[in-house]
Amino acid sequence: MTAELPGERPSAAPASELAGLLAKVARGDEAAFAGVYDRFGTVVYGLVRRIVRDPAQSEEVTQEVLLDVWRSASRFDPGEGSARSWLMTLAHRRAVDRVRSAQASADREARAAVATTDYDVVAEEVETRLDAQRVRRCLDSLTELQRESVTLAYYGGYTYREVAALLGVAVGTVKTRMRDGLIRLRDCLGTES
Amino acid sequence: MRLRRTDPHTLAGAYALDALGDVDREKFERHLGVCEACRAEATSLRDAAGRLAEATAAMPPPRLRGQVLAEAARTRQQPPVRVAERVRRSWHGVGWSAAPRMAVAVAGVGILVALALGTLLINDQHQLHMYAAQRGQIAAILNAPDADIMTVAAQPHGSATVVMSHAAHALVLTTARLPALPSSECYQVWVMGTHRMRSAGRLPSPKLGMTAPMVVAGIAPGDRMGVTVEPSGGSQHPTSPPLLMLALPAD
Repeated sequence: MTAELPGERPSAAPASELAGLLAKVARGDEAAFAGVYDRFGTVVYGLVRRIVRDPAQSEEVTQEVLLDVWRSASRFDPGEGSARSWLMTLAHRRAVDRVRSAQASADREARAAVATTDYDVVAEEVETRLDAQRVRRCLDSLTELQRESVTLAYYGGYTYREVAALLGVAVGTVKTRMRDGLIRLRDCLGTES
Repeated sequence: MRLRRTDPHTLAGAYALDALGDVDREKFERHLGVCEACRAEATSLRDAAGRLAEATAAMPPPRLRGQVLAEAARTRQQPPVRVAERVRRSWHGVGWSAAPRMAVAVAGVGILVALALGTLLINDQHQLHMYAAQRGQIAAILNAPDADIMTVAAQPHGSATVVMSHAAHALVLTTARLPALPSSECYQVWVMGTHRMRSAGRLPSPKLGMTAPMVVAGIAPGDRMGVTVEPSGGSQHPTSPPLLMLALPAD
């Protein structure tokens, strides 16, 4: 992937930029909404695509997420986390809802086979981007079980019970690894709030 | 009173990763309502999880931009307050499943404060009579050995706290910090079972940001309770999307 696509490196934008855009979007500012798309469309689409995988469905879900943003920008409450976190939560939930509701179990099993290779694919894609490199470095600082638990859930859209089954470990273990892994990731990324 | 929990603290990571099933998530969100430290942790872990998306950025097909912007241009936006006021979509079109997701529950102490203030929250003589008539019931529910306490967040802000007794088939409801309504509107409470939806009456008008405790009787396991904005006289059927909804425990 080329390094200078427009709209790439969304996190290079200060966190408050999105909050500022959302405030305008809430007032019906279509140009600000286009700004949200241009700055964050790639990160939303990329995440949705990673989870949903099917390109056509990924487009649909991405559109749903962006329209959610348009419709409910006025509901964003800075007291409950960053604008970026709000956006990524919308995107992640939409994508996860799609795979959990639409996919038959056989389909999920097929996805499981692919999901186990996720981390390598991620590692490959991130090479060109500084932010992505930092994420990768921080993921590397996790124990293997923490990393697998976190990435299967986040990129694979699996529940912790499914992750436990995939990894062949106890659900209680997966729960704590997910929490420990995210704490370590948070501290490594310096996102503590 | 007891809190329903299965060691919920450890679920913060799975919650931040959207790795909880519906039942687990509801349970955990109820817990968030009564645990400020857990809320702070969940927020920071969710922030960290969101950063993982930085590693997967990809260009969407160029046509998507035009589609999304065009669709937005013909899509009505939600107002910041009084969620339902101008969004008079048909209830059936909306569906309970489309109710605002109870992302993070707020202040679980609402009902305790409301109870402590007791009659201070009463606005008029009519409410005072109602409260006096219900006081015995309220005490019975709060003291029931099987009483559960649950808190849910409302959109765009505020919360409702419920104490429910299965044995009494009843619950006590109080709210805090719901958006103020003009006198032409009220909050109405609904109970939805498997087959039908019924009104449980109007919420008392708020005072000090809270509403006096209200008893909702005839609750069956697994019922759902929702609150909507309605014209001040109340409605036969909900005419706006719920600003909060709570799935009551099934056992």
